[in-house]
Formats: sequence, C-alpha cells, structure tokens
Amino acid sequence: MAYLNVEEIEAALETLAASNPGKTELVFLPNRTPEGRQSHALRIGLADAPTAMAVVITGGMHAREWVPPDALVNLAADLLEAHSRGTGLRYGSQRFLADDIRSVVEGLQIVLFPCVNPDGRHYSQTAEPMWRKNRRRVRTDLHPHCVGVDINRNFDILWDFRRHFAADSDVSASDDPCHPQVYVGPAPASELETQNVVWLLDRYPDTRWFIDVHSYVPAVYHTWGFDQNQTFDPSMSFLNAAFDGQRGRGNDTYREFIPREDVEALQELGTAMNKAIKTARGAAYDFEQSFSLYPTSGTSDDYAYSRHFVEGANGKILSFTVECGRSFQPPWQEAEDVIREVCAGLIAFCLAARKQSIPERGPSA
Amino acid sequence: MTDDVHRIELRAQTVEELRSFLDGTDLDLGCRPAVRRGSGELMIDVYATMPQISRLQTSRRSSGVTVTVIENATEVGRARQAEVGSGNRLSRRQTFSGLGVKE
Repeated sequence: MAYLNVEEIEAALETLAASNPGKTELVFLPNRTPEGRQSHALRIGLADAPTAMAVVITGGMHAREWVPPDALVNLAADLLEAHSRGTGLRYGSQRFLADDIRSVVEGLQIVLFPCVNPDGRHYSQTAEPMWRKNRRRVRTDLHPHCVGVDINRNFDILWDFRRHFAADSDVSASDDPCHPQVYVGPAPASELETQNVVWLLDRYPDTRWFIDVHSYVPAVYHTWGFDQNQTFDPSMSFLNAAFDGQRGRGNDTYREFIPREDVEALQELGTAMNKAIKTARGAAYDFEQSFSLYPTSGTSDDYAYSRHFVEGANGKILSFTVECGRSFQPPWQEAEDVIREVCAGLIAFCLAARKQSIPERGPSA
Repeated sequence: MTDDVHRIELRAQTVEELRSFLDGTDLDLGCRPAVRRGSGELMIDVYATMPQISRLQTSRRSSGVTVTVIENATEVGRARQAEVGSGNRLSRRQTFSGLGVKE
C-alpha cells in the first residue's frame, strides 16, 4: 500500500458503504470544495438505531498531515469487516473482543469525515508538500501566492482574535491573507470545508463526542485551547465580553471555565484512548489540555464543545484533538504503525464513551 | 519558487524559555503550538527556511534554548510524494481492508 490520494479516500468510503448496507450511511457533504471536489462522510451504526449517541471524528483538516485520513478510512474498514465476520480486532498488543466491536458498531453512531480539506491534501501530495491550508484564493487583488485559509482557525469560537485575546498572548492566528500557515479567513466559518464540519454536527444532533485527528506531537488534547482551565467561576468564560482583551496569556488571573464533571469525563475518555495507544505500540502519547505554549482561536475542538454554551438546545459535545505520530509525512511503513495506534485509541475511546452518561441538553453550569 | 523549509527541534527546560525564544518570530510551529515532554526537557518542532534559522541563531543565542536542524522537510516531503497512490487503486476492488488483525 501507500498513502491514499484524495480520489481514493472518497472511493474507499463509497466502497465501504456499498458493501455494508444496513450498518452504514454514505453522507454527501453539502458544499463542494473551492476546487469542486465532493466530500463524503461515512456513518457507521445500525439503520434501525439512528438516534444512538454519536461520535464525530474528522481528519485531514491540515493538508500536510497525511496520516489522519488514512487512519480514519482504515478504522472504518476494520470495524465493518470485524463486525461482519464476528471477530475481534488486534493492533499490536491491543486486542478488542468481538463483543467490543459489536458494542461499538451497534451501540453508537460513528460518523467519520476522513478528509475535510481534499484540495489542500491534493496540493500537498502533488506540489508543495508542506502546504497546510485549503486552496481558496480569498483576495484576488493580492499576490497569487496569497492562497488559502487555515480551516482549524476558521471556526466560530473566539474567531476575532484581536478582540478576544490579550495583545501580548501571541495567539496562534493571523488576519493576514498572505500568512502561509494560520490565516483565519475573512469571517468565521467562511470556508466551505469549515461549513461542512458544522453541517455534520448539526445533522447529527445526538453527537456527544468529537475528535479531530491531526499530526503530530504525539499527544491527545482536550478542550480548551485558548487559556488555562478553571472549574470555579462560570462567569469567566468565552461568552463574557468583559474579559475581551484578557485571554490567552496563561498564568494570570483569566482562566476559562469548564465544569468539573466535564473535566472528569474528558480525563476518563482521554486516559482510555491513551492506554490503548500505549498497548498497541508500547509508547503513550502526552495527554493534557490543549492550551500549551500559545493559545489558539477558531479551532474545531473548541467550537464543538462551545456549541452547547452558546445555544442551550445543542447537546454537549466533549471534544478532543489527537496529534498522532512523530512527523507530518512518515515513510509509509511508519505511517502504518501510526494508523494502528490511532485505530486502537479511537476504538478504546468509543468503548469508554459507551459507558459514559452525558446530560441530554444544555450547559451544565 | 519559495525556499525549502527545514524541521528544527527546539529544547528548553521551561515553557518560559521557549516562549522568550519564539515570541515575535511568527515561525511555523507545526500543527499546533504545543510542546512535548521527554528526558526532563520540553521540546517543540518548528519549521523555517535556512535564512530564518540563521537569523534566529544569531539574534537569540543566549536564550538557553538548544536549536537542532533535523531535516529539510520540503525535500523529505517531495520524496514522500512517491509514496502516494496514483490513479484510483480502489476502482476495481470490491473491498477495502484495514490494517487491524481480525481474530
């Protein structure tokens, strides 16, 4: 094998859907990409259980991170084949029993969107390997080099970083359309790829968990990414404009509110994922809050978790980012090992998620 | 034609050291601006052109941060493009099988 190209990713999803009727749904994302590509997601879950709680897993948001889309296609293929054959699954030393696979496939909806940014992936795989953003030319009056928006800075969560963050926070974001990495775009969710992810979360209102798979650190991160967390003051939150201009420094008085029970649930899920990753290949990933060296704005994981605070009718979505592997484009043989550890971690996550009780609606604070 | 980008590993004892080294540089910090931990140190990979690296090594020499150039990431990526499937290898296949062992 070798890395899947963008045509093959979509073909794989179509093949898996066609060969697994009754437990898959091929989802056509509503927005074609700027270069005209049709994106697909694949929902795994029994047709007669369409309201089971859902975990939405995305990959390929950043073009140069080649492993995550392949990992999610592999995950889909493995789950479906093992379920059909009534077997378990093994990745390295991490074993899942047939009952585990049955529990995941029959007890959850697993919505996989492996390649959010196919235009960027195609460009990275055929032209500039270090390309990160999408391929939309936002401003035609600028130099032709000024192409692309960072999808993972384009979501509607503290998107207007100049207003929301402290000037000296060095937030990882830029409003320069020529910035080669972290241009946030002309408006929140301005990008068709971003809108596709938002649509997917809207389409599956029973989503309770969201994982965005990137590369690399390696690490598993949980929300929030824009400042250190705190569990005692609900008013100190991204919703409160009184704190605009104060966020993102770290080690100061502003910290972002997160309910204690959510922290505990995130810890439980992340620990389960990381334990399986370690068992699969012998080395654990780091596991911590995603705010680290510098804050981030407009990211997918923070957006997914923020939705129930912004609109009480939205279900709570516990969110993670996985930064898999140790390089953007490892040799394929190494990529296969990263795929195995990612698959092991995600299945363990799904099993842990099945055991968790998530409040039905609205913020918990 | 843009300059090749190199992968550089920065090592330091504290987050503050790394921040004081990186603040204001606007370097490519990889997927997200996060450190990894190992051997009692903090590490982060950054991506920069050789001129950028030279400027950093000159202007921030006394920062307590170790700078190691790992590889020419653009060159590695170009080589890796040969490991991407061509055409559509799945067009005639009935199934796609994953890497997990079914047992």
